[in-house]
Amino acid sequence: MRLRTWAFCLTEANQNLLRNPVLAIASITTTAVSLLVLGVFLLLSANVNQITNTIENQVAVRAFFSQSTTSAQEAAALAAVRGSPKVRSAKIVTRAQALSQLKHEFGDQGSVLNSLGSANPLEDSLSVTARTPSDVASVAKQLSRVTGVVRVSYQSQVVSRLFSLIDGIRAVGLGLGILLLLGALLVINNAIRLGIIARRREIAIMRLVGATESLVHWPFILEGLILGLIGSVVAAGASWWGYAALYSSASRSLPFVPLVTPIPFARDIALLLVILGVLLGTVGFRLSVRRLARV
Amino acid sequence: MQLISLRNVSKVYPNGVAALRGVELEISKGEFTFLVGPSGAGKSTLLRLLFREEVPTSGVVLVNGHDVGRMRRRQIPFLRRQIGVVFQDFRLLPQRTVVENIAFALRVTEVHPREIKRRVSQVLELVGLTDRALAVPPQLSGGEQQRVALARAMVGHPLVLLADEPTGNLDPANANGMMRTLLEINRLGTTVIMATHAAQLVDRARQRVVAMEDGQIRRDALAASYSEEVVR
Repeated sequence: MRLRTWAFCLTEANQNLLRNPVLAIASITTTAVSLLVLGVFLLLSANVNQITNTIENQVAVRAFFSQSTTSAQEAAALAAVRGSPKVRSAKIVTRAQALSQLKHEFGDQGSVLNSLGSANPLEDSLSVTARTPSDVASVAKQLSRVTGVVRVSYQSQVVSRLFSLIDGIRAVGLGLGILLLLGALLVINNAIRLGIIARRREIAIMRLVGATESLVHWPFILEGLILGLIGSVVAAGASWWGYAALYSSASRSLPFVPLVTPIPFARDIALLLVILGVLLGTVGFRLSVRRLARV
Repeated sequence: MQLISLRNVSKVYPNGVAALRGVELEISKGEFTFLVGPSGAGKSTLLRLLFREEVPTSGVVLVNGHDVGRMRRRQIPFLRRQIGVVFQDFRLLPQRTVVENIAFALRVTEVHPREIKRRVSQVLELVGLTDRALAVPPQLSGGEQQRVALARAMVGHPLVLLADEPTGNLDPANANGMMRTLLEINRLGTTVIMATHAAQLVDRARQRVVAMEDGQIRRDALAASYSEEVVR
């Protein structure tokens, strides 16, 4: 089609939108809200994912000895562990060192430990660093078999709990997002249908004077595209801007939480939302094509 | 070659009504033809077959050598650009001005804006509405609205003009005016087919009359009148 024919279609599409502004606003709002929900869940699950990976990458394993273990046994265990190819480094942390470290971690509240008097409830332990994150589990297993070791701890419990949290967030987000997208689709479809009915006289005349079917269709396709595009740009802008603001305040007050950086991540999500919005508008039109054929 | 020819054309609607039964008709370029007959005789159906608003149940409809009934969907718009149609109920866009209504037919067929302007003013002069160019249809009389519809049908320079009861909603003075314009259009070279009940207009025009009844052609005579008895 020629440029002025596109201009003609665009004018027609605009007139449709202006003829029923309430419906246009409803379409745009539902599109924006559903895409925003989707975007928020995507951002959320990506961040939980990132945090989990960070934790998973911590390769430290701690093996605690029973109080009755002798220092000779502990030294033998240390030598054995150091011999393993999966272990990068290992050292013994005595109960005295552990207590003073605990006092240090408690900081201002360190004085609560004074009530213990001279008693030390802690155990000696082996602090082991695995060579790679995937070695952590087997190193832990290996340690649990060492004589005198009563307990092995590493981050696996936290990691698996976070993983199931991510799965939950993804499922809820996807379900809610899809439901809302369907709602938005129906509203857009409805707006286009009403546009077709309002313009049936015009469509009949267009066909009578020899307009091609594509010329009859394009104003409605553009209408759907405009609705989807505006809605998705609102959602994309809100999620990008919102995430960037959240990120900058979070990285100031919680610097140790490894959030995903807004660029390229939030930008890509914003782009995805716009693509989805455009798709939504097009599919909204596709659903109305039959109605258009019956005019 | 005939501009229009119908060969053994029948049309049965899905509800079982047989609107046309074995119709044979030839119309040459430049002719003026009245289609007359009682309501339900098949006049409108015959016209609707010509611009592919309906397809024949059997038989062949040829317009300018094209088999309209078997034409591909994509080709229909191009057939319609060669055919102007005027209805009893005008079918104008009420929110658009006279000029916009007429230009609409050319805009949707991608004619250059300068050419649109030229042709619209030409055709406005033909139907005598130059001074009403910027009015909208609700501000016009029935006669004026039908002239706008006629202008829209003519602005694409069609090979044939189809008029389905064009004077049905007009008072006698306006009907006479419309008839004069249609004859003038024919005199300038456009083939015209007009379905009508207006006996007086037919009798005065002395043109070819095709009389239909029950979906069949009962009489086809040149320089004839509305009913047989009056002539002979």
